[in-house]
Amino acid sequence: MKIFLLTVVSFLAVILVLNAGYYKTWFVDKPMQYWADFQKQKDDTVGIQGIMTGRFGLPYTICVKVKEVLTKKKVKDAVILFEPNSYYRDSLHMPLRVPEPAVFYYYTGLKGVWTTSAEVNKANYLVRVSSKGVSLDEIKSPAQLQQLLANYRKFTPIL
Amino acid sequence: MAFIALILLVLCHLLSGYGLLTLFTIRQKTAITLALALILGVAVASLVPFVLQLCFIPLTPATVFGSLVLAGLLLNIRTLLRIGKTAGSFDRSFRERWGRFVRECGRRVRAFHLLPYEIPFVLILGFLLFVSVWRCYYLPPTSRDALSGPEAIAEYAVREHTMINSFFNVDLWTTNNQFKSPFLISLQIIYKMAGFPFGQIWLSLIFISFTVLLYQVLKEKLHPIIAGLLLLLFTMEPELYAYSFMILYDYSNMVFLFLSLYFLFDYCKSKTSATLYFAGLLMGIATYIRSETLALALFFIPVLILSQWREKYSYRQMVLSVVLFLLPAVIAYYLTVSLYIGHYLPVHYAIGNLVNQHLSDLQPLFKRYGDIGTRLLTGELALHLWGYFMFIWAALFLLEGVLLRRYNRDARNWLYAIGAIFVGLGLLGYLLPLFDLTDTTKRGLFKVLPLMLLYMANNGVLHRLSAWIGQWENAVPVLQTSPGKAPLRSTYGKLSKTTGNKQPDKRAGKTPPPPPDKKSPAPGRKKRK
Repeated sequence: MKIFLLTVVSFLAVILVLNAGYYKTWFVDKPMQYWADFQKQKDDTVGIQGIMTGRFGLPYTICVKVKEVLTKKKVKDAVILFEPNSYYRDSLHMPLRVPEPAVFYYYTGLKGVWTTSAEVNKANYLVRVSSKGVSLDEIKSPAQLQQLLANYRKFTPIL
Repeated sequence: MAFIALILLVLCHLLSGYGLLTLFTIRQKTAITLALALILGVAVASLVPFVLQLCFIPLTPATVFGSLVLAGLLLNIRTLLRIGKTAGSFDRSFRERWGRFVRECGRRVRAFHLLPYEIPFVLILGFLLFVSVWRCYYLPPTSRDALSGPEAIAEYAVREHTMINSFFNVDLWTTNNQFKSPFLISLQIIYKMAGFPFGQIWLSLIFISFTVLLYQVLKEKLHPIIAGLLLLLFTMEPELYAYSFMILYDYSNMVFLFLSLYFLFDYCKSKTSATLYFAGLLMGIATYIRSETLALALFFIPVLILSQWREKYSYRQMVLSVVLFLLPAVIAYYLTVSLYIGHYLPVHYAIGNLVNQHLSDLQPLFKRYGDIGTRLLTGELALHLWGYFMFIWAALFLLEGVLLRRYNRDARNWLYAIGAIFVGLGLLGYLLPLFDLTDTTKRGLFKVLPLMLLYMANNGVLHRLSAWIGQWENAVPVLQTSPGKAPLRSTYGKLSKTTGNKQPDKRAGKTPPPPPDKKSPAPGRKKRK
């Protein structure tokens, strides 16, 4: 009987904790949501790319598209210049954050640079994001690159 | 296929971890031994690709897994040699040993059972563990600190068979994560090679083992209901829980630092030299994971010296103990920072430039302590980071001070540890400006959390409550055991003995205390003149 009473106390203690103030919010938002995710994920058939797209979102999708285009064009030694994230935030008012060169390499195996990188002069492609979409433009000359860098000078690259 | 690989890896970790425990003659209850062995095994595995890299051996599945097995066998050489000594009667001896081993396992498995009132906590903790493990397995690493350093290095190391790979040809000016410890890189390499595209599942092994270990440790001190409740509060700390499936260094560092202190405090009571060396080894692993742990280790030298001073140890032995305790941490620091970063990585890291250049200005130090107190330990952000854990800890601390007006020795040890980490984190933030408040210091505070939990396990008020429940129930499940040697007595244990329950040891599946280690007397048994 005492064991039974203690078991009831245990159940009540667990229920109390799960419903106490912030724990309730957290438990519903996180573990329960993760459980709901699990119910979907256990049956899905997406591959590694699909999981990564779902996890990393638009920036990852852009990176993969860049790789696809360059592979299709059979471009070797491409160095991709990204627009500063502060440009998206302050000028385009978009919540987009493109990855830093190290993460871009992890995603794609391609080299990327930011506008203030030491190796920015090696850039030969520019990923341009606008409200209309994303484009990958070739940088044809050092003068064009300098012009582009001048355009973005007032935007500091941020993570 | 990956599932089979995981089982083999777990067995490999258990083998090497068990070997380490045997080398240091650490004996615990079955559940704690298994949990410790698994955690230690993961640590051993994390050294394997790193050592291969230091020896310029290509990181292929054959070299990596071959070395893992070899490490497991080498660490169990003591057991193997013991069998070898009885070569004359090998068959009989071998059969006898295995028979005894199987019987012992059977006895322990039979002894291991849950009481009905533990089930609610086991269910909810099991749910939290399952969800965490699934996310660890299914989702890729997401933290920027991992992606811009160790995870990317590991990914290309698997393809290029070296940690010094094409990742270092990339423009790395936005990150310093390539200079972080090889702990994470090594484990990611192993698990990626084993067929897990995102690696990571090693973190779940640490998480599960640590949860099991904590539950057992808490149950030695408190009634299982209170133990379960405290562990639930500990596990439900939002920030800590998030890092149970998001690979970074801090969760693992927390585990090993905690274990080191657990065995250091045990040494202070048992004075068993092997326990001290084991605590030192664990501190070394913690330093291998996060190099600044070496600085935190220094804060625990007074604990060691004080405990030996009380026992009138000689000065020479006190110095020797300190050296032996710190040596693994110093070696780990040298290997990961001075040797690996300084001589192996193709990119230069000017660590000297990271140090605060205005050390005479102490205002930032006090500001850092203030910020930790007001932003990370109390207030809205603290609630989102730790739930109500900090507040419950503070309430119990005050309650013990007000009601009992004294803290027992174990509680004082853990309180000292909490204070030392708090002071240490503030100092590190002051010395290294990169050690920012809301990322590095916040994650650094993970180290304090299990220390707080163990303080609560030694809280006098909770001991009395446990004793009261135990007395009422008239069937106390466990007695406290010191990790390694003679049983210790908690308030709960004392009271439980008077209740006349004579079977708690059997029910807890506890290993009987080992005989005194005659070959290796505790350092400093010679008394001071």
